[in-house]
Amino acid sequence: MAVGVEEASRTYERAMRNVAAAGPGVCEVCRTFIDPNKYSRCHPCAFQPDNLAAVVPITYSERLGQMHTALRNYKDGQSRTVRRNAAIRLAAILWRFLGDHEACAARAAGVEGFDLVTIVPSSSPARDEQSPFRELTGWIRPLEARMRQLLEPTGAVEGREFDADRFRPVDDLAGESVLLLDDTWTTGGHARSASATLRAAGASEVALVVIGRHIRPEYVPVDGSGETCGKLLKGLPESFDWTTCAVHE
Amino acid sequence: MLALMARRKLAWNRLAGSIEECGSALRLLEDLEEANDPRLFAVESAEITLDQLEERVISYEREDIQLVTVLDAAYPMNLRMVHDRPPALFLRGALSPADERSVAVVGSRKASPDGLEKAAEIAKDLVARDYVVVSGLAAGIDTAAHRGAREAGGRTVAIIGTGLRHHFPKQNTDLQDELGRESAVISQFWPGQEARRWTFPQRNAVMSGFARATVVVEAGNTSGARMQARLAIEQGRPVFLLRSLLRHQWAQTYAHERPGTYVVETSEEVVQHLDRLYADDLVLTA
Repeated sequence: MAVGVEEASRTYERAMRNVAAAGPGVCEVCRTFIDPNKYSRCHPCAFQPDNLAAVVPITYSERLGQMHTALRNYKDGQSRTVRRNAAIRLAAILWRFLGDHEACAARAAGVEGFDLVTIVPSSSPARDEQSPFRELTGWIRPLEARMRQLLEPTGAVEGREFDADRFRPVDDLAGESVLLLDDTWTTGGHARSASATLRAAGASEVALVVIGRHIRPEYVPVDGSGETCGKLLKGLPESFDWTTCAVHE
Repeated sequence: MLALMARRKLAWNRLAGSIEECGSALRLLEDLEEANDPRLFAVESAEITLDQLEERVISYEREDIQLVTVLDAAYPMNLRMVHDRPPALFLRGALSPADERSVAVVGSRKASPDGLEKAAEIAKDLVARDYVVVSGLAAGIDTAAHRGAREAGGRTVAIIGTGLRHHFPKQNTDLQDELGRESAVISQFWPGQEARRWTFPQRNAVMSGFARATVVVEAGNTSGARMQARLAIEQGRPVFLLRSLLRHQWAQTYAHERPGTYVVETSEEVVQHLDRLYADDLVLTA
């Protein structure tokens, strides 16, 4: 049985929110909400190595909301049915988005196109061996020819922080540009760790497309304003627009 | 978990996720109590104690009311996948693995004879294809769907908008009791909860989440079934609108703009879509 990418990609559309344009109150890199009077980047984006030529989150993912639930279920769902049901729909979102906006990510990264596509692995070698995200991205047929495993976890690093020893390269890269894919961006520590290893292995540029920019709804970006991220998310347009993206021109 | 529900510190539709993330309801309860302003503690401790709650659960069991929580393996699988799943369900009867193939059939309380007939017919057809028919035990379309499924010898589950000690409407008392004995009647509310304006929309989210899909038979602009269509789509569950609904403005808007909405004329179309969307070997095509 088959389902079309467009139909499947719309499953969680009512829970999807286009990320806000970079600008006052929005981190210019990862698009989380920040204090516009003090910063142009969130704390993790300001203090971790700036090694991603473009960061393109597809949608916000509110903690415990339906996108977050789907992004958890595809990995940790109780049964295979639950996991696969979510995984195939998330694959459709990524497939459709990349079809329309991979070129935008390339332009933002200053490359003509990406030579290779790879995923941010799990940090634990045991988990990475059966990576649900690798399986999910494997269903995106237009990526097949360029999809390669370029990284593996060293197993030496846990937690969320940037760490150049989190992953090791599988191969040398001779100046290739790499599109990195991940399911969720929380602080960007994993993606930036992956990029550091790819760059050290010779990648010319590394850009990231990530499905969900995780948002804690109770967080208040401007001290004392009482305006939570949850409220800011509610203020965004309710209908998801597939024709635009974080780096659209 | 019941103490967390009773304390209402966290929104009902975020409590289940918080408990799952924490891994233990007791730990979450302790974390919340620790975070409390100490000046409020005197007020807090006047609330119901864990011992009192245990006595309540024992008394529910004497009434044949069981409790299934989100930390139990028996918690319904479809419901587990939605963001607004309740932390606990009160239950008369028994859950079944077959409930994974549930389809909600819903519509107006004041339905036309045609609508009632259509609801019963859809329920029969779904049962014939091994689907479980879920509805809300309200007058009108709900009752016709439950009865249609029963007459065809199928399983039908009620998800009600009150606590299990109440019957709403009264004329469905016998049907509720029958379903409680022979299949399942489910409520996310404390057993003593009476019908309120807010209980029905909350219930609709649980019904749409329990089912793989929602079929709306007849529903005006202010109907609860329309609300359920919205909630189902927010959960990523398909909604089937009978073509006759298109005379209503809301149904036209849904048909044209909302993802996951299918306008159908027959139950055969519903089954074809479901067999495809939930196929075990489902693959993506461009």
